[in-house]
Amino acid sequence: MSQVKSNKKFKWALDFNQKTRTQTTELPSPPGYSQSTNASYTETSRDTDSNLLLIKKLWDVALGPLKQVPMNLFIMYMAGNSISIFPIMMVGMLIVRPVKALFATQSTFKMVEGTQATGQKFVYFIGNIVNILLALYKCQSMGLLPTHSSDWLAFEEPQTRVEHIGGGLSLI
Amino acid sequence: MGLLSIYFKPNFLGLLKCLNNLNWFIVFFSLINLSVCIYEDQIGKFDWRQTYVGRIKYSQFDTVSTAKKIIVATEENVLAALNLKTGQVVWRHVFESASAGNIQLLHVSDKVVTVTGSNPYLVRGWDSSTGVLIWEWSLTLQNDDQADFSEWWVQNNMLVHMLPMFGSHIEVSMYHLMTGQNRGATAKLPASWTNDGCVLAPPYYTCVSGEMKSQQLLSLDVTSNAVQLISRPLAEFVDLNSYDGSLRPVDGNSGLPAFIVDDKRIVMIKHNEFEVLKTAVFDPTGSVTLLDIANGPVVLQAWLDDTQGFSIQANSVSGAELPELRMADRDLKLPDPEISSAVCTKSAREQLVCRILVTGGDDSVHLMQQGGRVLWSREEALANVVAVEFVELPVSDLDAAIESEFDQKEAAKMYSSIWAAFSRRLQTQFQQLQTLVNSVQGEGAAQHQPLALVRDYFGLHKLIVLITDVGKIFGMDNLSGAILWQYYEPSLDTEGAVVFTRRTARHPPHDAYITIVGKHEETGNGLIISLNPITGTLIGERLLKLDVQLLQCTILHRPDNEKLHALILLDKDENVQVFPQSAAPLVENMFMYVADRSTARVQGYAIVYNGQSAIAVRTWLVRLGGGSQRIVLVQGKSATERVHSPGRVLPDRAVLYKYLNPNLVLVLTEGPDPLHKDVVVATCLDAASGAIVASQIHRRARALPLAVHSENYLAYLYYNDKHRRTEIATMELYEGKQRWTQAGAAFSSLATERAPGVERQAFIVPAAPAAAALTATERSLTDKHVLLALTSGAIVEVPWIYLEARRGGISEEGVVLPAYAPELPLPGDARLNYNLTVARPERIYAAPSGLESTSLVLTTGLDLFYTRVAPSKTFDVLKDDFDYYLITIVLAGLILATYSTKYFASRKMLKLAWK
Repeated sequence: MSQVKSNKKFKWALDFNQKTRTQTTELPSPPGYSQSTNASYTETSRDTDSNLLLIKKLWDVALGPLKQVPMNLFIMYMAGNSISIFPIMMVGMLIVRPVKALFATQSTFKMVEGTQATGQKFVYFIGNIVNILLALYKCQSMGLLPTHSSDWLAFEEPQTRVEHIGGGLSLI
Repeated sequence: MGLLSIYFKPNFLGLLKCLNNLNWFIVFFSLINLSVCIYEDQIGKFDWRQTYVGRIKYSQFDTVSTAKKIIVATEENVLAALNLKTGQVVWRHVFESASAGNIQLLHVSDKVVTVTGSNPYLVRGWDSSTGVLIWEWSLTLQNDDQADFSEWWVQNNMLVHMLPMFGSHIEVSMYHLMTGQNRGATAKLPASWTNDGCVLAPPYYTCVSGEMKSQQLLSLDVTSNAVQLISRPLAEFVDLNSYDGSLRPVDGNSGLPAFIVDDKRIVMIKHNEFEVLKTAVFDPTGSVTLLDIANGPVVLQAWLDDTQGFSIQANSVSGAELPELRMADRDLKLPDPEISSAVCTKSAREQLVCRILVTGGDDSVHLMQQGGRVLWSREEALANVVAVEFVELPVSDLDAAIESEFDQKEAAKMYSSIWAAFSRRLQTQFQQLQTLVNSVQGEGAAQHQPLALVRDYFGLHKLIVLITDVGKIFGMDNLSGAILWQYYEPSLDTEGAVVFTRRTARHPPHDAYITIVGKHEETGNGLIISLNPITGTLIGERLLKLDVQLLQCTILHRPDNEKLHALILLDKDENVQVFPQSAAPLVENMFMYVADRSTARVQGYAIVYNGQSAIAVRTWLVRLGGGSQRIVLVQGKSATERVHSPGRVLPDRAVLYKYLNPNLVLVLTEGPDPLHKDVVVATCLDAASGAIVASQIHRRARALPLAVHSENYLAYLYYNDKHRRTEIATMELYEGKQRWTQAGAAFSSLATERAPGVERQAFIVPAAPAAAALTATERSLTDKHVLLALTSGAIVEVPWIYLEARRGGISEEGVVLPAYAPELPLPGDARLNYNLTVARPERIYAAPSGLESTSLVLTTGLDLFYTRVAPSKTFDVLKDDFDYYLITIVLAGLILATYSTKYFASRKMLKLAWK
């Protein structure tokens, strides 16, 4: 009866009333620990796709900038076109982040050499460029880009003169 | 409920308190935003005012009241009281500047009595200590033609009015001084012997009459009831062969009836008899007055002696000289002295104590005491300034040495070797060290010394050269208003005089150089005075009297080898003279124009160098208004003007390019119109090509000689007859959204064929302006403000944005221009001279300082007022009340904190490492 009971005991149940002293030398497994599941898991992960996972992860990284585009669009919409500290900070972030990311492309993809590395880099690059273009569009709509002649007015050389005049009302 | 109210009450009160505080904050911040005026503790820090009264006409010592004063009435129609000790104005009344304010009589007893105006006359009594008007009555004469010959005096508390009808009779009326009640009818004294050479020595009216060689000297006491004519042959007094028929009254107001015959003999009337004084007139151009002192009358004479300088001598009636009143001052060059009034009293020790007020031909006033000491002087010529020039000061000797050291050309000349240059460097370094030590040592002592005449770091210290109507030229320190030098040229007629800075003080081996072009008093020929403005000494051409009348003059834009800009004179015969003559080959692309005021005819000339000399070639002629108009004003742009921005940015970020024609001249004409009474025409004329660029007309209006013109805009004032108000019209000229030439290209009037677009607007000025000017800065980065001096004595600063002609145009999105409002706002805090009223302002002059933000402003008129303005606020200097101590303490604290935290941090790291 007791044997049956012990065989039938639940995973989370702990029996403090053990009658047989024979098993005392061997400690029971901690609650919730299952030998079989652990073994089977390591078995599968080791073998099947350590490489595939890396590629998948790197694709995640490569597609990251593109995935940010809708979010950026939303941020841009929310920021508005007024020139004040928060919109400027946001636009600054929008520009600086992809530029930084572009410079860090090499270090990001340092660990991969594979068939898909070029494609990933290319996608990553495109994504960042899209983000930069978006930020530039934002700047343009905020009027921050010096694209008009009025923006360069202050740097112009002053006009010189050819003729010189003098005179006034007759002194007589 | 009760519980609730207890619970909320303190909070509610707290909320109220909080709201109250907030309210204060709102008030506080609104003040910060709006006010451009100065703070109370800044009064007198950047500005000064000098009050003047003008050339003294009558003066009298007020010996009655406790505070000793001199009451003066002047040619400028001012009645004032001057402090006897300091010469400062105690009180002052400025009457109308026209003949209605003419002062005919000044009489000082316990009250001050004046007669002003010219038919109708106003008789007024003033309290002598405060200047308060006590009573006033008016008097209108029936006979208006002869009223100009009226004579007034006060006798026995009666105002006597005498009106001579030359050749027939004298009308004498007497009025009660306070009430104006007429005492009986006007007495008509038969006097067929009167003529326009007669003089009045109250109450005697004296004439020379009769056939040549047998003239009689006749005199009549016009106030006595019995007509007693005193008559003696003139031959008893003077030699008839040399007599030229002149009688003149003695100066001053002694009350003793006396006059001078033939500038030689002094005749006194005593007991109805002529009495020739033993003392003769020393100098015919001098001044003679009679003084009544305890011992009897004394004759006081003042004249300018060639050898002894200014001299005063006193003789008693018997001819004995009073030695204590004798004086001669060689240094005091007082031209044409006139004793305005004098008073002598006997002191306790039986000594004469005299005060003599002397007016010079240069309008200066000096109060002297016996022995010849000058107690104070006033330069009343400054009440009539006609032209002003701000002059830069030279750099200090040390800076000049450093500059010359690093000047390439100079350096190559001076140092042959490296060693010479090295020793020079050491020398200058040593000098610098010396001055530093000196400045540290002499910090306390130098406080009271006047500032040296060297340029300061910000270029705020300048010298003002003022040319006055009487022909006296002053050099004035702009920071203190102190007169540094003066130069008097009696033959200078300053009407239409112009000043040119021909060389600034920036070229160290050469002195600064200014030239004043005026006219000769008598001949009207050109008179040119060249001065070193720093010292006031003649320089270069010195005093040059031309033998021809001048049409116009200008200076050459290009300096010669000595950095001197040549003076170009165009004379009546259209000949050109260039000074110095060696600069004639430099004449190139030079044009001149001459506008004739009465015919509204503007003639253009090209000044050409033909290989030997410069000649004038007539190029164009414009008749404005077809003969019926006359020119009120011609306003060109400043020759030294710089334009910073070539266009204006529109809200859509396009550029509206300015029409920046440096040769543009605004000509304001006015004339009658059959339909609209009077019309004012404003014409923009290109003075090089003669092209009319823009014009506009105002119907039923009269022009005022007030205009400003700069960059691409101009504004002028006119009086609107229909609405009876002053208006200001503004015009702005634009090339359009496309520019005509490339950026940085030269503008040529002769090569331009297109006409600019003109924006126009007019505004009502809710005041009566008397002068207008634009602020000026060195690079024109700063905004320009229009300065208006109002007849009320205020000087108001109006930002150009309020006068913008584009104001109120088609409204575009995001327009920053204020909407059009017909009335120009003149808020109280835009007033530059807070409570310092400037009496009768006439002109405003603005000059750039070394600081881009700041412009120096001088208002002339009866008073002088100097201040500085910062149209775009002082963006390039720290605020006046900047807390240097606080920032030093904060900085020191931060440095201390940095080092202490560094120490503590290292200690903590050490402890951590041992754990």
